[in-house]
Amino acid sequence: MNNVIVYAEHRGGSTRKVTFELATEAAKIASALGGKAYAAALGPGSSALAEQLARYPLEAVFTSDDADVERFLLDPIVDYLAEAAKKVGPSLVLVPNTLSGRDVAGRLMVRLTAGIVADVVELSVDNGSVVCVSPKLGGALVTHCALRPGEYGVVTVRPNAFAAAPSGAGARIESLAKPASNGYAAAIENDVEEGASELALEEAPVVVAGGRGLGGPEPFETLLKPLAQALGGAVGASRAAADAGWVPYNLQIGQTGKTVTPALYIAVGISGAIQHKVGMRASGTIVAINKDGNAPIAEFSDLLVVGDAFRIVPELTKLIETAKGQHT
Amino acid sequence: MKIVVTVKLVPNPNAEKRIDPQTKRLVRAGVDTVLNPYDEYALEAALQLKERTGGDTTVTIFSMAPDALKEGLRRALAMGADDAVVLSDEGLEGSDVWATAYAMAAALRTLTFDLLLVGGLTDDSSTGAVPGALAEHLGLPCITNARKVDIQGDRIEVERETDSGYQTVRGPLPTLLTTALTFGEPRYASLKGIMGAKKKTIAALSLPQLSLECPVGTAGSKTDLRSFAPPPVRGKGTTVEAADGAAGAQAIFDFLASRKLV
Ligand SMILES: Cc1cc2nc3c(=O)[nH]c(=O)nc-3n(C[C@H](O)[C@H](O)[C@H](O)COP(=O)(O)OP(=O)(O)OC[C@H]3O[C@@H](n4cnc5c(N)ncnc54)[C@H](O)[C@@H]3O)c2cc1C
Ligand SMILES: Nc1ncnc2c1ncn2[C@@H]1O[C@H](COP(=O)(O)O)[C@@H](O)[C@H]1O
Repeated sequence: MNNVIVYAEHRGGSTRKVTFELATEAAKIASALGGKAYAAALGPGSSALAEQLARYPLEAVFTSDDADVERFLLDPIVDYLAEAAKKVGPSLVLVPNTLSGRDVAGRLMVRLTAGIVADVVELSVDNGSVVCVSPKLGGALVTHCALRPGEYGVVTVRPNAFAAAPSGAGARIESLAKPASNGYAAAIENDVEEGASELALEEAPVVVAGGRGLGGPEPFETLLKPLAQALGGAVGASRAAADAGWVPYNLQIGQTGKTVTPALYIAVGISGAIQHKVGMRASGTIVAINKDGNAPIAEFSDLLVVGDAFRIVPELTKLIETAKGQHT
Repeated sequence: MKIVVTVKLVPNPNAEKRIDPQTKRLVRAGVDTVLNPYDEYALEAALQLKERTGGDTTVTIFSMAPDALKEGLRRALAMGADDAVVLSDEGLEGSDVWATAYAMAAALRTLTFDLLLVGGLTDDSSTGAVPGALAEHLGLPCITNARKVDIQGDRIEVERETDSGYQTVRGPLPTLLTTALTFGEPRYASLKGIMGAKKKTIAALSLPQLSLECPVGTAGSKTDLRSFAPPPVRGKGTTVEAADGAAGAQAIFDFLASRKLV
């Protein structure tokens, strides 16, 4: 395995930061392996995305505007990716660790008879082997796992784990021919976008998360959102808040929700149950606001302020806004 | 209709895990084995579909697990599954995701089903790669994160969660399906269910009964686990009692400023 291919996940050409993080890391790993880095952007809008990807140090970006990619559930994407991987030869395929990224990764593993490592946060090359670092058992364990040098490898990468830095000399854009197929299994009848304009939780540098202590849906809008905005971050939630219907499930953080690793995590009215902890324990700095000084979150936050969130949060937002005002 | 649900037995996710600094292994004491939480949701979906379709619908549990753990599946039987099949073999030890999915697929080929329900993610290894891999091996459609399912004859319509919202998809049966947690909370086993589960069958499968072309276990794995260790410890931080809102906010602000976060 000398080359690296990035699966550039997108919707009609608009993608998330993780795509560029993968493109940046792919180039580093490819040069350590003595090979080249590629990306594949598939479906309507992929040409526009390819233009953006061309600013990264990649050899080529494979594209296809094939409308079937939006009409059928993942089958066309897996076909195209397998085709691109076969073109490039034994390679490392980097896939974002998102819901659909995981599906793609499991299927590509079989198509390419590849090894797979999931939820990777660090990559290195040791003696020609790619070594992947990934947390397991809800973060209780950090593993180092090597892929076989002569074979294909598939890695799902945690968003926010790598930096994105454009520095390309203009990658070649190459359109892929449609791979032969004996039909696609599942047809997409309709596709609804929810909360799309908001910053993706997994890639936000700051997450302000609320729990049952907020008592209802309004404080997420009136209390947490302004604080998150002041800090340039996104709003998240505990399962108790999602279960109560105060916020959509896609804001849930934890074992059965998203795993986030922002530089700063502020937990407001969240007790810190183990299932919540596993989704945010790797954050840079953890601050908690809780009425109860004995809440479990005290054990793993850098700062716990014991007090009423309804009084503290608005004051904090004001302080941050004032400070920002002085700098600009 | 025949439904098969894959269930993995995992160390209790709610237990605080510790790595023994000497042996570098997970301290098992005080950590019981439970059904992987996502698989309980998949089983709940199977049971709801059984209730809805009624008649001769059956729900079979499939698990690949060491023989010593297989009684842990009684809980799934107590929730309402009809029977279980367990693939156990010493030759499976050390299987990575590739080898696990390969062996599971070979075992699942010995069963017949219209619907293969798989959990979205395992709590211990959390790769989420097994559903897609099984679908490829078995040549099944792969419909993931379902929150609503409607079956009409040999067609299935699914409302599924996506990273950006939701979709409606249609496909044929048989299919592989994973469920989103919004499908419905797993039920508790009733006392009657628990008693009834004792009499249900847990059938054993082992490697010689499967037709395998590739090795499994450590020999068949494509990744080498080089080392594992606990993450850097995150010490208990500071606790500040806030006299009022302004004081609490100031304490946070000063702390963030000291770490250059504001
Ligand atoms: C299989 C399984 C999976 C799960 N997955 C997840 C998951 O992915 N994510 C998750 O979060 N949970 C998950 N849970 C649930 C988890 O166990 C907890 O129930 C949940 O995290 C609790 O949410 P909470 O902290 O918001 O609520 P609580 O535990 O009720 O805590 C509320 C906190 O708010 C504080 N509070 C109250 N009022 C105020 C106020 N005015 N100001 C400041 N503080 C206040 C209280 O002191 C308390 O500490 C899972 C559980 C199971 C069994
Ligand atoms: N050993 C196993 N036995 C039964 N099912 C499994 C096993 N390993 C994985 N699975 C299934 O595959 C799903 C996804 O697992 P994973 O890809 O390992 O995160 C789980 O939720 C299970 O339903």
